[in-house]
Amino acid sequence: MTSKNLLFVSGKGGVGKTVVSQAIALRLSRKGLRTLWVAFEDPLRPAGELRQAGPSLWHLNCDSTLAFEEYAALKIGMPALARVFLQNKLMRYLAKAAPGIHELVLLGKVWHDRTRYDHVVVDMPSTGYGLAMFQSVRNFRDLFKGGPLFRDAEEMLATFHDPKLTSHLIVSLPEEMPLRESLELEEFLRDVFPENRAEFWVNRRFPHVATREQARKDPPDLWPTPFARTASEYCYKRSVLEHQNLDLWRDRGIEFREIAMIAPDPEQTQASVATGIADQLQREGIL
Amino acid sequence: MSEAARSIDDILARRRIIVTCGTGGVGKTTLSAAIALRGALLGRKAAVITIDPAKRLVSSLGLHDTGTRLGDEPTDLTRLLHDAMNETMEGSGPSGTFAAIVPDTRKTFEALIAELSDDPALTARITSNPIFQVFAKEFSGSNEYMALERLHLLERLGRYDLIVLDTPPSRNTLAFLQAPKLLVQFFEERFIRWLVLPANKLASAAMRKALGILERLTGAGFMSSLFDFASGLFEVRARFTANLNRLLELLRSPDVGFVMVTVPSPDTLPEARHFIESVREHGFHFDGVAVNRSLSYLDGKDSPGAGDAGSPGSAEHKEALRILRALQARERSALAGAADGIPICARLPEFARDVHSMEDLFHVAMAFGPLPDRGAR
Repeated sequence: MTSKNLLFVSGKGGVGKTVVSQAIALRLSRKGLRTLWVAFEDPLRPAGELRQAGPSLWHLNCDSTLAFEEYAALKIGMPALARVFLQNKLMRYLAKAAPGIHELVLLGKVWHDRTRYDHVVVDMPSTGYGLAMFQSVRNFRDLFKGGPLFRDAEEMLATFHDPKLTSHLIVSLPEEMPLRESLELEEFLRDVFPENRAEFWVNRRFPHVATREQARKDPPDLWPTPFARTASEYCYKRSVLEHQNLDLWRDRGIEFREIAMIAPDPEQTQASVATGIADQLQREGIL
Repeated sequence: MSEAARSIDDILARRRIIVTCGTGGVGKTTLSAAIALRGALLGRKAAVITIDPAKRLVSSLGLHDTGTRLGDEPTDLTRLLHDAMNETMEGSGPSGTFAAIVPDTRKTFEALIAELSDDPALTARITSNPIFQVFAKEFSGSNEYMALERLHLLERLGRYDLIVLDTPPSRNTLAFLQAPKLLVQFFEERFIRWLVLPANKLASAAMRKALGILERLTGAGFMSSLFDFASGLFEVRARFTANLNRLLELLRSPDVGFVMVTVPSPDTLPEARHFIESVREHGFHFDGVAVNRSLSYLDGKDSPGAGDAGSPGSAEHKEALRILRALQARERSALAGAADGIPICARLPEFARDVHSMEDLFHVAMAFGPLPDRGAR
């Protein structure tokens, strides 16, 4: 991961992709490498904002309308002609309504800006939408037969496929549905990028109250009720359940890294959690 | 305070259709099935419709190994529920019925196009267009729209007196509400009209120029697909709009209530406020927020029980308890303002295991509260 220019962080919604990808970017930047962290259309930040978030760390809120305009201007070349194109009502309608065009230009922006940084870490949208992003590049490659857009789509896919340039990371929680969904996600990524296999991380790992051995001997399906009676029992049961859930990955021979859960506190912010995870990555020699 | 919170049973009593909305990962599919199951326990002919790419419902019901398939046609699960209730020693069986439907969105989509075009040649032309094929697969509103189509069809049959519609998973609670608008955008007539006019009839030089640039960038093959796609849309637009309006009318009727499903977090209340506002703007009826995976049932149950496994007193155990308490504290403060205009219709405990059987789904349905006494017998 440290030798790649591009890193796509994917996973189901709510697994903590944003903080994990921020933590990775922070950790890479601490090594003195110029690092860009990219989010797509975060409604809480100004559209298209690029801001310095630390020494050699930048955060970009990539916006599809701006990316579309930037890309069209670049491709058309002559500013006057680009204006005619971009101000045309029909083109604006197509840019807004055509499925996949947003995804195409957002990834296009990342692809284009990648050369200005040592590392670009991308916080992908949750599973379905994240897949749709790569899918739409493929769709456009197939729809545009020839022409400059076709060639760009092809080159983008080639870059994302090259294990020397790009890595794909799948983040999950130690819960059944996210773990299962990440297997499907991996299958899809493998289909699009067969030569560039994804890495797996599991986030928010609860403390290992039970051992794997204990978990094997006391499977949740045999518990008489689906509830815990006390706080203490909850902690034990949750730990057993996590062990059992992670067998979904282990049984398929998947190797993965674990990020320990950080207890919430009222003062907590996204940035403070990301810093906590970055420290953990450093402490445990993961990155 | 605008209104008192209703319970799930109150909502069931006043609605024939309940639409559940929520982001992915909050347990919406399981909870929707539990609401329908609750309806069956209360004597209703209940069905749950779920657009379920992750097969969550099959898993929640423990159907993986039984050979029972869920599909486009309703699967009657009353017998299974009956057995589960005997198993848990909780009564003799439901007084109503319980069925599940997992629509085949592709089939629904093609059936819809066939109905809209009313002409096999036109249907074939539309569905073979490469842009249409991408559209049907990728358009972010199409799953939502298909869910509505299926609901409408089932509703017209009149076989059920309770339908719970589990909307497709999304990153945004409002996605379902926004889908029709996204589709309508597509059918903006003045734009489509430009694309169906022959190029030499385009009066404006700027328009000719813009289309010329687009062709240069995307290639001639794409442009002809685009014109063809637009003319297909043009021909079905009137029927499509009429159809969409019928669906919206159904959603606005007092038979239909919206429930938001969420998990306790600092975002819960702001998100709920936003959702309530948006539901009302659309002219729909908001019924309540169902909070799933609540840890409040463990408040005050700190002392380890006798025979607790997992080495109480170890460093891991202490850290686990510390995290649990922090989660409970966060939940308390996150929901502290809930009384203020945000009706919470259910608060379900976080189970210690995933729901994988009809018995556990029955436990979820019972966690909505004790069943009302079925008449003095």
